Amino acid sequence: MSDWITTAHVTVDPLPLDWRDQLAVRLGQRPRRIGPWAELALYGARLCLDAAGESALPAQAQLRVASLSGPRNATRQIVEQAQTGLPMPFSFMQSQPSQMLAALSRHLGWQGDARFIVSRDQQAVLDLALQECSAAGVLIGWVEEDRRTEWWRMVLRGP
Amino acid sequence: MNEVYLAGRGLASALGPDIGSGLVALGRGGGPPRRFELAGGMAWPLYTIADDEPDWMTRARRIIERVARESGALGGSRSGPLFVASSSLDIGSRENSGDFERDYQSFAELVAGWLDWHGPVFTVSTACTSSLNALLSARTLIRNGHADHALVLGVELRNRVSIAGFGGMQLLSADRALPFGKHRDGLVLGEAVAALHVSSRPSRWRIAGGANVVEGEDPAGTVPEAVVAMCSEALASSALAPRDIALIKPQAAGGPVNDATEARALRQVFDPLPPLVSLKAAIGHTLGAAGAAEVALLTACLEGGVWPRVDYAQDALLEAPLADRAPANAGHVLACILGFGGGHAAVVLEDRGR
Repeated sequence: MSDWITTAHVTVDPLPLDWRDQLAVRLGQRPRRIGPWAELALYGARLCLDAAGESALPAQAQLRVASLSGPRNATRQIVEQAQTGLPMPFSFMQSQPSQMLAALSRHLGWQGDARFIVSRDQQAVLDLALQECSAAGVLIGWVEEDRRTEWWRMVLRGP
Repeated sequence: MNEVYLAGRGLASALGPDIGSGLVALGRGGGPPRRFELAGGMAWPLYTIADDEPDWMTRARRIIERVARESGALGGSRSGPLFVASSSLDIGSRENSGDFERDYQSFAELVAGWLDWHGPVFTVSTACTSSLNALLSARTLIRNGHADHALVLGVELRNRVSIAGFGGMQLLSADRALPFGKHRDGLVLGEAVAALHVSSRPSRWRIAGGANVVEGEDPAGTVPEAVVAMCSEALASSALAPRDIALIKPQAAGGPVNDATEARALRQVFDPLPPLVSLKAAIGHTLGAAGAAEVALLTACLEGGVWPRVDYAQDALLEAPLADRAPANAGHVLACILGFGGGHAAVVLEDRGR
């Protein structure tokens, strides 16, 4: 751990009422076709990169997202839809954590190693992420639906 | 750095409850998918595990315990990391119980309890690439000396949401999966539970490297640049060149567009293409379990001299024919999974036992 430095750490808890408006202003548009949980991930990730002074995530950096809630509301909705027929495609997509990773990739203009990985032990997720990343480091966040988003930008300490 | 090896494997799929029965069934050509009924009289084909236990959890526990035992992982200390990789986790149970209060880690912890597993427990859910990403994480921990063994479980069991969701997106075939086939018209999903027990102790299959590339440009499709990047990074991490790969297991799920995109991108990296193999016509696309399931089955095929039949017309326009027999020398194998959500993952396996 001592080889890594945290260049930004952002916690938003509780969420401001206008967080979605803030995100739309920052992106210059409202994100389309993603659910509230993915949008909250994007909100935190963007804030953290801004706090680190980075306009974009470097190509070799890695992205990790964890959550105990996951996209809970979308999951509940898709189960209800599937009980009565074919669910709406966007509802299904919003229930998949992988679609959140795709949204982050798209809106951060970045292609690379992104994963949704969860443990009860927050430190274990961070330790694993740091084992897996290069000197370009990691952007890692915990995103709990309707409640909070917390992100770290970490890079390898220079020589 | 430690090297990382496949110490053992287990697989329950439509081919059978274990690897041995699966190889026998594969050698006979496998069987057709069953019809999975949805609300409103709709039905889609699904490759199912033969176990008619109606209670989802009871069935899951029985299958998972058997597969983990088959992998050999339960014969040791059970103190390494456990990765439970899935795109649907226990949604099949929640559909019936209506319980949405349990969190995203609860199923993996339940599985750890079933297996009396004492090591750290992770949930990996990156859609179709879930279990390959779990395997890459397990490799990292062993390689860096933070563990000497790990268990990767790919779990994808029957549920309405996955089938209805992919059906609603018009990604499913109404008939059968035809990977790289001339008449391919979509995916056929499958159930699987696969266990990969990985270790620093040398064995026949070394996990030489791998890569995971997410590209959000097309969240439901394959992106050629990402396939090329995935291959390049997987080869670089294995210290190999394209000519060193003797066999590729592509994603080849049977989608009209994605199969063509994948074949085209592979041809960009590999010239000429090495032999290709697909297992999805036999077990379906097993989503988050697919990476582990196909690695388990493919390595067993190569060891056991069994090869999946290609009993349908292939698409000559792809210029990516599936091999009708195992290559004589499959020293390095590239196994790819391309997933929903822009995921593109691959591992490189080295056969040391030839």
